[in-house]
Order: sequence, then structure tokens, then C-alpha cells
Amino acid sequence: MSLSQTLGSKVRTPGGRSLLIAGFGGLLLLMLAVGGYALQMFEQVRQSDAQERNVYLRRARSLESVRAGIYQSAIVMRDYLLAPDPDSAGKHFDEWTDIRGATDRAMLECASALDPAETVPFRNLQAEVQVYWKLLDFITELPPRNKHIHGAEFLSKEVVRHRTTMLNLVDRINEIDSRQMAAGDAKLNATFAMLRLRLMMMVAGTVAVGLLLAIFTMRRTLRLEHALELRYREVARARGELQDLSARLVSAQEEERRNISRELHDEVGQSLSALLMEAGNAAARVPLGSDEVRRHVESIKKLAEASVNVIRNMTLLLRPSMLDDFGLVPALEWQAREVSKRTGMRVHVTAPETPPELPDEHRTCIYRVVQEALHNCSRHAQARNVRVVVRPGGEKILLSVEDDGQGFDARRVRGLGLVGMQERVHHLGGTFEVQSAPGTGTRLAIELPLAS
Amino acid sequence: MAPLQTSPSTSIRVLLADDHTVMRNGLRLLLERQGDLTVMGEAADGRQAVDMAAAGNPDVVVMDIAMPQLNGVEATRQIVNRNPNTAIVILSMHSDESYVIRSLKAGARAYLLKDSAEADLISAIHAIIEGKSFFSPGVRRLLKEDYMRELADMGAEDTYELLTTREREVLQLVAEGKSNKEVANLLNLSLYTVETHRTHILQKLNLHSVPELILYAVRKGIIS
Repeated sequence: MSLSQTLGSKVRTPGGRSLLIAGFGGLLLLMLAVGGYALQMFEQVRQSDAQERNVYLRRARSLESVRAGIYQSAIVMRDYLLAPDPDSAGKHFDEWTDIRGATDRAMLECASALDPAETVPFRNLQAEVQVYWKLLDFITELPPRNKHIHGAEFLSKEVVRHRTTMLNLVDRINEIDSRQMAAGDAKLNATFAMLRLRLMMMVAGTVAVGLLLAIFTMRRTLRLEHALELRYREVARARGELQDLSARLVSAQEEERRNISRELHDEVGQSLSALLMEAGNAAARVPLGSDEVRRHVESIKKLAEASVNVIRNMTLLLRPSMLDDFGLVPALEWQAREVSKRTGMRVHVTAPETPPELPDEHRTCIYRVVQEALHNCSRHAQARNVRVVVRPGGEKILLSVEDDGQGFDARRVRGLGLVGMQERVHHLGGTFEVQSAPGTGTRLAIELPLAS
Repeated sequence: MAPLQTSPSTSIRVLLADDHTVMRNGLRLLLERQGDLTVMGEAADGRQAVDMAAAGNPDVVVMDIAMPQLNGVEATRQIVNRNPNTAIVILSMHSDESYVIRSLKAGARAYLLKDSAEADLISAIHAIIEGKSFFSPGVRRLLKEDYMRELADMGAEDTYELLTTREREVLQLVAEGKSNKEVANLLNLSLYTVETHRTHILQKLNLHSVPELILYAVRKGIIS
């Protein structure tokens, strides 16, 4: 009682358990939080980066269109001026109108995706483009006769100059754009660096908490293990003591039986035999005619005879003298005869090779195991035939008891008799085995090592 | 112990071996009531019995089995080995056949239970002096009962039925302790024929020695 109580209090710490649950739960939440945060941040960065790139691309594309428009309009205008007939001039004129429209749309597109830093150059560009269009308008409005001479001159003088200015402006905007892009990349990198730092800190925190938890758990486990081992040792010791005690009890009981049996046989039995004889001697000296005395003496003899029989049976039941006088096999044969006589069960003892001189403990063990087994056979198994075999096997002595009774479930049933037999056998370092199933009879096999 | 006593040459000289003084005294009284018996000595254990038998050559030894130093069966073996003419009566508390057969194999020719000593010891001594065997009625009854039950249990056929009339005669005479020569004389047969009969009997009954044959005869109730 006190043992289990002290051990129980050591092992059970309710505070520790809730702390553990809280710790592990917290750790799990922390890990989830870190993971969630990281995912969210990455998504954000990815989105803003994509948006920025999108705007940049749109701007770059529209600027490219503007540049192309400017070039093409100059070329188309020259073709228009050089056109030999009004028909092809009209075609070139239409072409120019289209290009102008496309370029204006590209300008609008570019304006919608403009970076604040580009406002000034873009406004200049817009102004230049307007001037450029006006210049070209002016060319188209020239009278057809002058158009060849003035137009070509104008084109090479004014238009090319403006065109160069515009293209320079476009290039500047492009340059600013590239710088902005680089700045965006730098910002992105900085964001990433910050994110990484934050993540690292969070992971470090998680690891620290995990480590603390691990240390706590480890200590707790070690303590539990220690307590468990203490308890196990305690149980093993108690078990050993119990086995020892039971072995001592068994041997004390055996010794007692032997002593009582011998005492009964040697003292009481012999004295009664002597009494019987003395009664006979007395009877021989009774004078003729004293019939009453003779009757008394006869009665004494009868009583003594009955008592001798009782004593004989008692001594044999306590411990058969053959076991000590002739050894195991005669004692087993006697037992077989007695059991057959008493129960009607056929018991056959076989000892193919006479076992070597057995130590007293082994003899007694086997004898008692067989006694108990035969008892079970007749009492529980309702067996008709029993076969007892004793034979030496190497450094061992082997015993088997087989019956044709009703059997039992050997895995479940462990009657007190079986436990007692097992205890006896284990005490001598032997093995004990019972094979049985309902309806198949029972086979009991033991092996006892012989001490060299 | 009591010194060896001289006695008339006609009287049967008996050695008592029992570790109980009361028992020995009772036996001495019982035997000495008879005119033809003399107790030549008393031994208190098996070793002493062997020594005294060697020194005094008694005609009969009345031997207890449970004795210190050397048990009665071993003492019997040693005494008979040294002097086959010494007849041994076992006087024991034990009625089990393991004791009977071991005593017979050791060379004893009579087996009495102690509670029948007063009634049967004198007859037993006279029987074995004549070369016969002798068993207490109690022992005879037990052996016979066991045998009958065994026969019934095993459902075996009674091997006695296998013997011819002549063989049964030989069996009884041998079991009673007669030598082959005596049997030959009694039945008017040649020594060789008697030996052949003996061999056949042992084979048919699955026995291996004369003591076993005697035990068998007792169990069957052939001899008393």
C-alpha cells in the first residue's frame, strides 16, 4: 500500500500534464502563425511586384509604339510628298492619319501608366508631338504644286529636327523608366531582406520554445522512467521474495511431511506392532479357563492391528517411503496403482531408461507434480487412461503426463494446482508446459536440469 | 547387543535385526516360546546385522526394512551373497509390491507384515527352513487384488492360461522354492526337461527371474 502510494505521488503531477499540453499547443500555434505570416507576405510582395512590372511593360510598349509612330509618320510623309499621282498620295495620306491615331492612343496609354518622375519629360514630349503633328498638318495643307519642292525641304529641315528632339525625349523617359525599375527591384530586395529577418526571428523564437519544451518533456520522461524502473525493481524483488517464500514453504512442508511420516512409521507404527506382539505373548501366557482375559487381549490385538493399518496408510499418503527407499520410479508405480485402485482410471508409468540417481529435491518435485496431475486427471478431466513417462535427456530429466480426458483451454485456465506445479518446477530451474484444448486431452511436460 | 548364544545343534538359530528394542524384545519372547528356535543375536541396524550374520552364520535372519545405516533390503542382499544358506524373513510395515519384489530379488524368501508377525512368524520360519517361500496373508491378498485389477484394467488375457498342466506343476514347485533337481525328482522328469519347462514358463509369463516368478505365483494365489 505505502509503496504504491509513494510511487504514485511521484509519477502523477497533474500540473505538469496541462503545462505540457499548453506547451505543445502553443508551439503548434506558433509554427502555424509563422507559416501563415510568411505565406501572406510572399503573396503580397509577389502581387506588388507583378503590378509594377505590368505598369512598366505597358509604358515601355506604348513608348515603343510612340517611337515607331514618329519614325513611320516621317517616312509616310515623305512617300506622300513624292507620290506621282493624287491617288497614291491619298493612300499615303490615309496611312498617315492611321499612324497619327495609333500614336495618339499610345501617348494616352503611356500617360495612364506614367511614373511621377517622368511627368516633366512626358509633358515636353506631348508638346513636341503636338508641334510635330501641326508641322505635318502644315505639309498636307500645302497646295499640290508646291508640295514637292517646299514639302521636301520642310521635311528635311523641320520635321527631322523635331523628330530627333522627340526621340531624345522618349529615350529620356525610357532611361527614367529603367532607373525606376532598378529602384523598384532594390525596394523589393529590401522588403525580402526584412521579411527574411522577421521570419528568422520568428523561427528562432519557435525553436527556442520547442527546445524549452523538449528539455521539459525529456526531464519529465526521465523522471517517469526512473520512477517506473524503481517500481519495476520493487515488483521484481517482491516477486522474487514471494517465489522464495513459496519455495521455502513447499520445502518446509515437504520436510514436515517426511518427518511426520517417518515419526509415524518408525515410532507409532513400530510401537503398535510391538504392542501387537506383546499382546500375543500375553495371550500365550493366559491360563486356560480365563476366557474373559483372553477376549480382552484379542480385542487389544484387533485395535492395534487396525491402528497399524491406519498408520501405514497415513505415512504413505504423507510421503511414500519408496521415494526415499527405492527412488522415483517405484514411488510413481505405487502411486499409479493407488490411483487406479481408488478411481478406476488406468495409469501407466513408463521409465524407458532408469533415471540416474536423482537429487532428493528433483525426486520430490516430480513425484508431487505427478501426484497433482493425476489428481487433476481424475477429478477434472474425467480421463480413462493416463500415461506417465520419465526419462533422462542429456543434462535434464524429462517428465510427461498425458491423459485422454476432456481437456481445457490451456491459455485461459490456470488452476491453483497448475500454479503450484509450475512454482515447484521453476524453483529447480526447469520448464513447465501444458498443452490442452477442450476435447483433446491434456499433455503436461516438464524438464528439470540436473545440477552437475 | 546381546552376546551370541550357544544352542543345541537341532535348534534353528535366529538373528533378529530391528532398530526398535521393544520390537526385538517382543520377537525374542515370541520365538523363544518355541522349543526349536534360538535367538542367537540382536542387531539394531543393517550394518550390524550383516556383521553379526557373517560372524555367527545364523539359519534365519528376521529382518526389518526401515533401519538406520543400511536398510533391510541391502543387508539381505549382502548376507545372502556371503552365505546363500541363510534364510531371510522380511518383517516390515510396508505392504507395497515394490518392497516385496525388491526383498525377493535381494534374496529374501519370506515377507511378513509386522502386524501379522505374532500369528505368522513361526510358520514363516519353518517354511523357509524347508526351502519354501512364505507371505503374510495380508500381503498375498494385496498382491492378488492388484494383479486381478491390473488384468481387468489392461484387458489382457491371463497368461496363466497359456501354460500346460506340466508347466503349472513346475511353476508351483519352483515358486515354492524347490531346486531344479528337487523338481525333477518329484515329477520324475530329467533335469534337462525341468530346465526347459522353466525357460518356457518364464517366456510365456514374460518374467525374467525366479523372484519375479515367485511374486507372480503369489499374485495368482498359486502359493501361500
